[in-house]
Order: sequence, then structure tokens, then C-alpha cells
Amino acid sequence: MAESITTTAAPAPSGSRAAVATLKNTFQMQNWVLAGLFFAACFVFPLLPFVEGWMVFQGAFIIIYIMAAQGVSILTGYTGLVTVGHGAFLAIGAYTAALLMKYTGLSVIPGMIAGGLVSAVFGLALGLVFLRLAGAFMAIGTLGFAFFIGAIVNNVPIFEGRTGISLPPNTVFGFEIDDFGFYYVALVTLALTTLFVHSLIRSGVGRAFKALRDSDKAAESSGVNRLLYRTLAFSISAFITGVAGALNGLIVNYISAEVYGDIWYSVDLLVAAVVGGSAMLFGPFLGGFFVAMVPFYLEELADFAFILKGVALIAVLVLAPAGVAEVVARPVRAWRQRKLLEAGESPELADAPGPPTGGGS
Amino acid sequence: MTHLRCEGITVRFGGVMACDNVSIEVPEGKIVGLIGPNGAGKTTLFNVLSRFQEYESGHITYRDQNVDRKKPHEMIRLGMARTFQNLNLFGEQSTLDNILIGAHRHLGNPLANMFSLPGARRNEAALVDKALAVADMLHLNHQLDKPVKSLSYGWRKRVELARALAADPEMILLDEPVAGCNDEAAAELEEIVRHVNRNLGVTMLLVEHDMSMVMKVCDYIYVINFGANLADGTPAEVQENADVIAAYLGEPTQ
Repeated sequence: MAESITTTAAPAPSGSRAAVATLKNTFQMQNWVLAGLFFAACFVFPLLPFVEGWMVFQGAFIIIYIMAAQGVSILTGYTGLVTVGHGAFLAIGAYTAALLMKYTGLSVIPGMIAGGLVSAVFGLALGLVFLRLAGAFMAIGTLGFAFFIGAIVNNVPIFEGRTGISLPPNTVFGFEIDDFGFYYVALVTLALTTLFVHSLIRSGVGRAFKALRDSDKAAESSGVNRLLYRTLAFSISAFITGVAGALNGLIVNYISAEVYGDIWYSVDLLVAAVVGGSAMLFGPFLGGFFVAMVPFYLEELADFAFILKGVALIAVLVLAPAGVAEVVARPVRAWRQRKLLEAGESPELADAPGPPTGGGS
Repeated sequence: MTHLRCEGITVRFGGVMACDNVSIEVPEGKIVGLIGPNGAGKTTLFNVLSRFQEYESGHITYRDQNVDRKKPHEMIRLGMARTFQNLNLFGEQSTLDNILIGAHRHLGNPLANMFSLPGARRNEAALVDKALAVADMLHLNHQLDKPVKSLSYGWRKRVELARALAADPEMILLDEPVAGCNDEAAAELEEIVRHVNRNLGVTMLLVEHDMSMVMKVCDYIYVINFGANLADGTPAEVQENADVIAAYLGEPTQ
């Protein structure tokens, strides 16, 4: 029997293979250093002398948007399922945290986790319901879900509709926190979600997601359980966006169907994922920053902000469908690819037979 | 011992009988060929056997276990892998990643993997070693870090085979492994198919239009035509069979 196919294979040509492995480690170290520098800069930012309170508040908003877009990217970027309704998960996270805080006195961190978990349960259900949907049908389905959640928070009494729910000041471990403290809670959470997404997409699970994205059939014939991995992707995505939603509600101590009952959050998150580029780890960082900052600079021209987002979306789809992150990273990737190929073709492998030219038909 | 058996498989697409009461039997450790003119229903039968295609009637048994209700992703757990006629690779991903997905069967707990727990990391390293060993066997060493879409057709055929082999299968359904390859590449692939069967004991069911390959590597051959069994036998018997000759070349004119 084919106990192990590998045992009879030729021994690996260790020299060049080791060189490739070393190179890959180096690239990974470079990524870690860059990510470390970024988070260090974010950590220091509120402490800088010229930084005012509102900047810290705005910074926290950007962080929340980035996190929400990270959730979208799990589905749209890595699993290939377009979601136009992720504002619904933001709302579910926000309302879960807010209601728990109002009625049980839960504080920020447990509220955040609860928001993520409840959102994940909805994500799981949606993943099951939409199992057979693909492409545009998936987009319409998720949009429908956003309308559904919007109608619920607008009309079911416990959500208090457009009057909204006012919340007491936030506390963490029993200490009351202001915007400054909230910024750090959001930043640490973002660091954790980023680490998690990094680990996820590099694991065999991320590989299965990408396999489903690129070819359902090939993935299934390799043993990927479509039902399991699709619902898993939906749940994880909903969890991360739900956590961001909880933070989004708690930071202003107030939530209302005025904002969560509409689909604008869904549109914003889609724009963030697409413009930033959702199949790369730092895509949501660019996209989240963009979406959070546009209305800020165009405060007096609120309608113009939507136009600008729309134009940006179309421009990216036409000029760089993989998102701005991919364009930024392209030269680095090309350079790394070249290095890898050079390392992989060192002399130890020279005795391998020449490439079959193929392509006879 | 019989490795895979199907009996009375019938598949209808609208009014077209794609498979009409087809029965085949693949003995353990053998290479069985499945041939027939274009449109005879070979690929449909492949899809039935790998459980991508539902069927109206008939039964499939894998090692005496009924697999009528199995899903495609469950077949590999039983030990059956397949390749696709028109290649079904992940074009943007590297050769190594394409091979690695083949080893998905050995992934273990998804949750442990998601969080990169130590056990999952060790397992991942073992999967990479396995993928590299398969790549060695198919001489894919130079191609490992290239995106698959940048490879020539002949190489991509190999990646497809490598992905199937990375699962440590006990049986492989090969759908036209050498189609579109030049003679040199086809000869190499033929050699690999033979090696995998003879030295690793992997049972194979092979659809192929390249008759010289079929006649050389197959232990037994089934011929189907218009979705139905036409003939079966050793390569020599099939070559002599009047019905087979008629199906391929047409009836002799009187």
C-alpha cells in the first residue's frame, strides 16, 4: 500500500533548499520588523507633544475601521466570497456589547468578546444558509442580510430604534477609561487580530480558504470540506468585524439605528476592503485608513465623501483590481521572487532533467 | 481483491444518456484503462466515481464499502485522489502551495492550525517535507516558488499529479495525464505513472486518448461507447476486438 509516497522519493538536494528556506525566513523577519515599527509608531502617537485629544479619538476610529475591514478581507480576499453586508456584523457586535453593558453592566473587554461571539454565531448561520451561493448571488444575499438586520434594529423595541441607547462611561478592569485609554484598548485588540489573521492565512486552514477561492472542485477533490471551511470563514470574519462593532459603539457611549440601521457601514467596509486590497495582510490597513479619513477631511461636504469613495472604488477596480496594497507591494514581491528563484536554482539542482516543453495541443 | 467497483451506473443529462448501465471493476494494485471515442461518457463516469456527479441508479463500492452517499472531499479520506482533464490548479499560488493543498487530508485539527499551535507547526513542517519529496519525485524542484500560471502546460500537468500524490493516495483517477504534452514530456509522465504504480503500489484508473500509452501501461482496459460498456479485456484482447475497432474507425463499408 501507499503508506507513504515520500519514503521512496529521492533525497532532497539540501544545499539550495536550505538557501531558499533561509531567504524565506529573512523575508518573514523583514515583515515582522515593519509590522513592529508600525505598531510602535501607533503606540507612541498619542504621547507626542503636538497630538491633541481629537486626533487620538480619530486614531481609535481608524483602528476600528481597519479591524472591521480585516474581517471583510477573510471572506472577500482569502475565501473569495464577496460580502456587501458586513455592516450587519458591525451592528450585531455593537448592539450585543451595548445591550449587555446597559442591562448587565458588562465592561469593554467582555463586551467586545461577547459582541464578536454573537456576531460569529450569525456568521455561522449565514455561512450555512448561503452554502450554495457564489459570486454576485453571494453579494446580493449578504446585502439582503444587512437590510434584514437594519430593519430589526429599527423596529424591534429592545434596540430602541433611532432614539438610540446611551451608555455609561467605559471601564477596563474596573478603571474608567477616556478616549486616550480607549485608543490603547483598540490598538492592542488590532495587534491581536492582526497576529491572528497572519497565523490563520499562513496555516493549512488559510490554504484551504484560498483553495476554495481559486477552485472549488480542486479543493474538494483534495479533501477540503466546503461546508466546514466556508462556515468557518464566515464565522471568523463575522467575529473580527463584530469585535470592531462593539468598539465602534462603545467608543461614543451611544448607538442608534440611525447609523446601524442603514447600509452605509456595509458600503464603507466593502470600499475599505477593495480599495486597500483584501488578499494582503496590510490591505485593510490602507483601506480602513482611507475610509475613516475621507469624511473627516470633507466634513462640510458630507455627500461629496460618498462620491469620493465611489470614485476611488471604481478607479481601483479598473486600475488595480487587487487593491492599493498589491500595487505598493509589487516591486518588493518581484524582488523577493527573483531572489527566491536565484536561490532555488543553485548548482546542486543542476542534475535535474530539463523542463518538458509541453504545450503540444 | 477489488479496489473499486461500480455497477449499473446510469447518468442522464436531459435526454442524453451520459452513462447507460456502466459497470467496471478495478483490481487492487493494477492500472486499469478507460477508453472510448469522444463523448463516450468517460469523464462523466470519472465524476461519478469521484462523487462530483450524482447518478440515477447503480452502486459504487470502494474496497467493499458502499460509497454512494459520499461527498467529493470524503473520497480522499478513503484514499482516492483524482486529477482533472483540463487542469484545475490554483494559478496565482506557487507550485509548492498547490502541492501542499493535496496534503490537506493530513492537516489535523483546523482550530490548532488557525492559531499555529506548536503541534500544528510541527505537522505543517512535516507536510512541507512531504510536498518537497513529491516535488523531487516529479522533478519539480526548480518550479516550487513560481506561480503555477507561469508554468508551461507540461509542468502544470505534473503539478496536478503531484497534488494528487501529496495526499498519499492508495488509488488515483487520472483524467488524461498526457493530453497536450509533447512526446518527450508524455514519455516522462508515463514513466512516473508506472513508477507510482509498480513501486508505491498505487492503484490507478486511467482515461487517456494516447493509445500507445494506454496499451503500454494498462493491465486491463474497459472500452465504453455512447455511455455503455462496449468491451473489456487485456490490451491485446481489446486491440483485436471487432466492436472496438468499429467504434473507433466506423463500420466497414460493404
